[in-house]
Amino acid sequence: MTAIADISANGREKILVRDLKFYYGDSLALKNITLPMYANRVTSIIGPSGCGKSTLLRVFNRMYDLYPSQRAEGEVLLDSVNILNAKQDLNLLRARVGMVFQKPTPFPMSIYENIAFGIRLYDKLTNSEMDDRVEQALNGAALWGEVKDKLDASGLSLSGGQQQRLCIARTIAIRPEVILFDEPCSALDPISTARIEELIDELKASYTIAIVTHNMQQAARVSEFTAFMYLGELIEYGPTSDVFTAPVHKRTQDYITGRFG
Amino acid sequence: MITARYMRRRRANSIAMALSIAAAAIGLMFLTLILATLVVRGVSGLSWRVFAEMTPPPGSDGGLLNAIVGSVIMTVIGLMVGTPIGVLAGTYMAEYGRYAKLTHVIRFLNDILLSAPSIIIGLFIYEIMVVRMGHFSGIAGAIALAIIVIPVVVRTTEDMLLLVPNSLREAAVALGAPRSIVIRTVAYRAARAGILTGILLAMARVSGETAPLLFTALNNQFWSLDLNAPMASLPAVIFQFALSPYDDWQQLAWTGALLITVAVLAGNILARSLANIGAQPK
Repeated sequence: MTAIADISANGREKILVRDLKFYYGDSLALKNITLPMYANRVTSIIGPSGCGKSTLLRVFNRMYDLYPSQRAEGEVLLDSVNILNAKQDLNLLRARVGMVFQKPTPFPMSIYENIAFGIRLYDKLTNSEMDDRVEQALNGAALWGEVKDKLDASGLSLSGGQQQRLCIARTIAIRPEVILFDEPCSALDPISTARIEELIDELKASYTIAIVTHNMQQAARVSEFTAFMYLGELIEYGPTSDVFTAPVHKRTQDYITGRFG
Repeated sequence: MITARYMRRRRANSIAMALSIAAAAIGLMFLTLILATLVVRGVSGLSWRVFAEMTPPPGSDGGLLNAIVGSVIMTVIGLMVGTPIGVLAGTYMAEYGRYAKLTHVIRFLNDILLSAPSIIIGLFIYEIMVVRMGHFSGIAGAIALAIIVIPVVVRTTEDMLLLVPNSLREAAVALGAPRSIVIRTVAYRAARAGILTGILLAMARVSGETAPLLFTALNNQFWSLDLNAPMASLPAVIFQFALSPYDDWQQLAWTGALLITVAVLAGNILARSLANIGAQPK
């Protein structure tokens, strides 16, 4: 991975993955992944189904910890601190590393409460402060205009694209440092997809972003860096323009040009 | 194209359908007969006296007030004791201990308890409460009912929580929510209708139980709210009056049976409509 040294001029390493191995029970799903993620940049992770890209994403907020048979080895440094350390406080880690899922997952409560839920976990605010935070978050997710008159309506009453933006609003409401997107547009129509992509572009001013996607054009459009994974290995990593126009590995080229995957 | 093979399949289909319809009709017929008999025999005894007077000695006027109140008291206490235990145990099994060995053991034992004959539960409480206290009591009856409530509530709580998609839990966890908050504010909320349905079903189940009460609360001819004394209940009164040779007692037994059936039916309908509300996206 000599490429990493060359591009470190691109900014601060917010996350550094070193020799990461991941197991589902006995089966090895990630094989010695080493990868940086730069602050205020979008890193996309692409690859065919089952290559381990979502698995990798779920290591960054230790979501896998919910399931006893899953474990990770190696190092994932977040601001130089290894988050795989057993002493890591998981709730605090997840407050710093937010995640938006493939399917929109609004909670069965009102739009307002969906946002306030996360804020209340860490801050005790007055009603008017809370109103401001909720409005800010909905604005940040480009949803405020559509829902400002029905904040008491159930989050489930929104359309799929709106629900996904609600989930993004919920995530940025708690002011994380990193946002992980796990195929955020795979259940959305092209118009909603375009809005989410615009949003990601705006969000990177304040956050470090990782996005897993099956959509090659999307990776090319939204990200500065691209990692291509195949069968649990990181095949290629570099600036998105390089990976897409001049891939070093044949497999990357085959995947990007649609010859397999 | 109509082949012999196709014709045979069509014949087999009509035979199977006819048998299924016949079976359904027979089942429904008995249910209808039972309900019709109850209504015909029970309604004629309905009057204000039933709800205002105590169970009478043979040959005089009276009602079922003490039995109705006793049933309500013991059912409510049984639910109040059994529901928290059941909900918490179900929560442990579906949330905290989902992958634990203990959960499998509890589930197995709970299923046995769920299908245990209620007379055994009555005997058990008789042994550990009635014998030690030296007399029958309303509280012993309520505890026996609570023990019947527990497995029903455990089962439905666990099942309903397991139906809450993991993606919803992950979404809450991803915001940094500790487990207790994920359970309280997200999982319970999503499973609320189902858990309530389970509690109502448990209520319907225990409000008609007779055997465990005969060994514990026994019965009481008089008005009594004392939990430390024998307490009347509709099922026990029905049992006693229906077996008696007196016409007026038998009439009251029919009326009591109708009351229980209507109450159970109402509970079931309420449970069902709650479940429907929960199933529809709001």
